[in-house]
Amino acid sequence: MSVDKLTISASDLGRRRTTGKIKQIAEPYLYLSPSIILICLVIFTPLVIGISYAFQSMHLFNPGDVEWIGFEHFEKIYSDRKFFIALKNTFWWTFGSVLLQFSLGLGLALLLKQGFHGRKVFQALIFLPWAVPTFLSALIWAWLFNPVIGPLPHWFVSLGMLDEPYNILADPDFALFGPIIANVWFGISFFAITLLASLQSIPDEMYEAAAIDGASKWQIFSKITLPFLAPMIVITVMLRTVWIANFADLIYVMTGGGAANSTQILSTYIFTTAFKKLDFGYASAVSVVLLVLLLLFATLLLKMRQKFVRVN
Amino acid sequence: MARIELKNISKSYGNIEVMRDINLDFADGEFIVLVGPSGCGKSTLLRMIAGLETISGGDLFIEEVRVNDVEPRDRDVAMVFQSYALYPHMDVARNMGFSLEIRGEKAEIIKGRTAKSAKTLGLGALLERLPKALSGGQRQRVAMGRAIARDPKVFLFDEPLSNLDASLRAEMRLEIAKLHKRLAASMIYVTHDQVEALTLADRIVVLNEGEIQQVGKPLELYEQPRNLFVANFIGSPQMNIMKAEFTDNRLVLENGERLEVDVSLALNEVAHFGIRPEHISIVGVNEGHAIGEADVVERLGSDSNIYVNVENIGQILVRYHGDISLEVGDKFGLKFNLDRSHLFDLNGMAIR
Repeated sequence: MSVDKLTISASDLGRRRTTGKIKQIAEPYLYLSPSIILICLVIFTPLVIGISYAFQSMHLFNPGDVEWIGFEHFEKIYSDRKFFIALKNTFWWTFGSVLLQFSLGLGLALLLKQGFHGRKVFQALIFLPWAVPTFLSALIWAWLFNPVIGPLPHWFVSLGMLDEPYNILADPDFALFGPIIANVWFGISFFAITLLASLQSIPDEMYEAAAIDGASKWQIFSKITLPFLAPMIVITVMLRTVWIANFADLIYVMTGGGAANSTQILSTYIFTTAFKKLDFGYASAVSVVLLVLLLLFATLLLKMRQKFVRVN
Repeated sequence: MARIELKNISKSYGNIEVMRDINLDFADGEFIVLVGPSGCGKSTLLRMIAGLETISGGDLFIEEVRVNDVEPRDRDVAMVFQSYALYPHMDVARNMGFSLEIRGEKAEIIKGRTAKSAKTLGLGALLERLPKALSGGQRQRVAMGRAIARDPKVFLFDEPLSNLDASLRAEMRLEIAKLHKRLAASMIYVTHDQVEALTLADRIVVLNEGEIQQVGKPLELYEQPRNLFVANFIGSPQMNIMKAEFTDNRLVLENGERLEVDVSLALNEVAHFGIRPEHISIVGVNEGHAIGEADVVERLGSDSNIYVNVENIGQILVRYHGDISLEVGDKFGLKFNLDRSHLFDLNGMAIR
């Protein structure tokens, strides 16, 4: 009897202990649940629904005719010539824009770090392109490249870069340069301002110590300045890359993907597929591919950051 | 190791001249301490020697070569910064070997030299750490190791110990003294702490408001301050300064006491009489030069600082060696050791 009682109370105790443990583990999540639910609703729901379109046949011409089709869209992508043209263009568009924006932005930041007269005014002016609505800057640049009203083609001729003044936006070989140049003009300020902020946070003593240690200007730049900027460079390059790869406005307004698809990038392709051909399912499938590619890129960059960046 | 000569060095920012007529000559292997209150220009002077500040006027010679327009990287000086200025993205070994790396030395040579200076400073176990994983004292050592590893002509220290706590400061002070002895290198050391100045220096340069007040061996400054500023600045606690008038061939304090001081001044000339707290003894009420009442008694164990209110003169600080049974409000006499007193004219220049 007494033994029985003991066993019962022991197992009872065990059960109570487990429920207590579960409670203990669950408690913090309970407190977090409002924000978790909100995040799921706001971020994940549209994402999941959007991705689910990729596996459905959704054509707005036949609104009633929605059905699950599995990986059919992705098989179609695999043999879609236009997709691969757009993928290649996306790469050059993103790579060219980011590289030029970054290197010119860094140069500008280094210049702005030097004290000179009217630096503050200059700094404000540099931010200006950022404040111009994208559609307006796209229109301005489209006009600048137009030989009838814009000066650029005539300048190119004077510089010997073109044989006669024509609109490069209409030339399949050069059309992509137009939006890239516009994008560089538009995006330099982002790099200039963020890198300048980062430059200004480097203590002067680092430069002084390096100068006394015998470092030349270039050695100071490569061994002190760059490592200090590295964390900011990784983050800004990642953000801008993702953003530019998704950035359809400039191209859409300037060329509409035109000159025989020579400026068609994935995001404009998605846009035209969805809103001109009204094929939402296929557009979603292409978006999913772009999403995966960008995720891979971001992971790679963050891994590199872990390996190389030592200043925090 | 090098001889350093400063000839009529001056420094201005725009129209404001902050330093003038700096003439100094440092011998090879000498330990020089530049000392003064904040804003006196001691760091600016050090930075001019390093090449981090431009020299507005005069000539600077290192080993007989005029270096006014020589870049810091070509002056072959090493500097230890107040904030240490370690490169946060490099480990201890690379921090110490950075100047050698810059010079393009072979990896083995760099490794050997850093290992040697790390051993000197007891940093052997820390070579692979990043600065952020070090304590303040260790960072300080790395900063010194960085200077030692490159074997420069001159070592410059810019208040290297002021970010450390008191006990660590005393320990590092000793290490720097040993280091100087072992390396026998020229060192120029900036501090506002007179204890560091007095203990480390072969010679001290006292600066105030951009001008040299006095240059001399540590005890020389203590015993024969050239002016009131040095008298006040060197020695802790500070020297007592009181007004005195020269009448009837005697120096008369404001409490009417006539002092037997061997000095000849013009009649009725007013001067400053200075006496260090440690040169005053406490005697019976009518036996000393002044009668005072204890206001505050600070007991430090080894010494006691007694702040004494003296009628017509004001407060006088007395340093008593050991503990003393005195209460606030007690009255007693103060006897000045006149052999060790100081006299300054109205302009603050020493008379004897």
